[in-house]
Amino acid sequence: MKRALVVFALGALARHKARSLALGGGLVFAVALVAAVMFLTESLRAEAERAHAAQPDIVVQKMVGGRPTTIQASEREKLTDILSVRAVTSRVWGYVFVPALQGNVTVASAPAGATALSVANGVLAEGRDVTQGAHEMIAGAELAKSFGMMLGDELALSDASVHAHPLKLVGTFRSSLDLWTADVLIVDEEDARALLDMPADSATDLAVSLANPDEARVVAQTIGERIAGARIIERDLLARVYHLAYGRRAGLVLGALIPAILALLVLAWDRASGVGPHERKEIAVLKAVGWSTSDVLWAKLFESVLVGAGATALGLLAGYAWVFWFGAFGLRPALVGWSVLYPHAALTPAVDAAQLLGIGLSVLGPFVLLSIVPAWRAATTDPLESMRT
Amino acid sequence: MMSRNLLVAWLLVVSPVFVIVGLLVDARMRRAARAEEAESIALLACRLPTSDLALSGSARWLRAVSLEEPGAAFADGPATPDPDPAGGAMAPPSEVWAGVARQASFVVVKGSR
Repeated sequence: MKRALVVFALGALARHKARSLALGGGLVFAVALVAAVMFLTESLRAEAERAHAAQPDIVVQKMVGGRPTTIQASEREKLTDILSVRAVTSRVWGYVFVPALQGNVTVASAPAGATALSVANGVLAEGRDVTQGAHEMIAGAELAKSFGMMLGDELALSDASVHAHPLKLVGTFRSSLDLWTADVLIVDEEDARALLDMPADSATDLAVSLANPDEARVVAQTIGERIAGARIIERDLLARVYHLAYGRRAGLVLGALIPAILALLVLAWDRASGVGPHERKEIAVLKAVGWSTSDVLWAKLFESVLVGAGATALGLLAGYAWVFWFGAFGLRPALVGWSVLYPHAALTPAVDAAQLLGIGLSVLGPFVLLSIVPAWRAATTDPLESMRT
Repeated sequence: MMSRNLLVAWLLVVSPVFVIVGLLVDARMRRAARAEEAESIALLACRLPTSDLALSGSARWLRAVSLEEPGAAFADGPATPDPDPAGGAMAPPSEVWAGVARQASFVVVKGSR
């Protein structure tokens, strides 16, 4: 009997096409929007944490007047004898604003003795690593494209320090690493100091690596005691930064979408709860030929399940395709951020079964439950009265 | 006829399961492809000042959210509009920038490889 009711419900959906489309379309749109925001947020968190492990255990910055400033390279000596500290490196990096690009270029120095970057190890798309003292650079694919540069070309940034030497492009990063390198220039330390106008006895910050990363909190306290005005950033806390940063953005976007989603759900509710004269007559005829209230109730519930399940499936698919197959057009600038030197690399999904089931059930469950009221109202209609009206 | 309709109905009911399984398979394949780049990412990350994603290069205080001060907004150029008036949440209207005089601030010398 239930099978016949399921078939009847499908037929009823086909007979009331406009109502079914309004209901299903609204649900598809709402599910796709919420799913896309969640997929994108989780993907960004996962990408940010992917390179997290390779970062130093502790970064030490210097604060003067409440603002970050350069740190004296000699401060490094105060940290080397702390137990558990394996190495302390003075890092030279910073930003050069390029008005023509309306963006900052992130200049980072290549430490001497670091593992060479190459096409073979998958970091570079073409070219080779910089040679110390040769005034060379590696640029992100997006940055090189914006400058219109090819390998062998030289770049002189007039907004950088007057001491900066023109830099020859000897390599570009793979475009799949764009999320980290879109605006990055890697040069040797001497060129970085010249570009950023940083004296030889200064550094942007100190990178501390530990023999036992679990001791980061204790070492951070010791560093705070030894360097006055130090701002100490522990690696383990950065995961929380990413979680908050992307969670806040997702919350903002979802908050902005609430009126649209509510409008769609109100429309869907209105269409679901309103029993038109044609449908009222149909139910009256069914009850007149012997259908019980329970049969009508089941048929109406099956209608809701069919619409809800189909719309949830389509909405999940649309949200996923929007973000990972079509690059989240329209949504990416709102959720991810905005920049001229914008990474276009595809995002990697970080969704799991629990998340997908959660989105699906959070829509399908309330929708089916809410449809009980209109279904009950339709099922308890007096057939004689319905036929008369 | 009835059996075909029944099949369509059941397909609709179980369609979320099919979609979820399909998406999980696709996501797993994409993650596996990305995992092959793990070594490259680790090598690259050693050279970068931060593992923060390069999503807001137009604003120093948003470029490296873990190392900078996300709340300290200020324009990058004298008398230029704030490039992230909504704190990076959305782009400014592009016509605002049309009024900003662009100057040639870099020189590219074409050379051989």
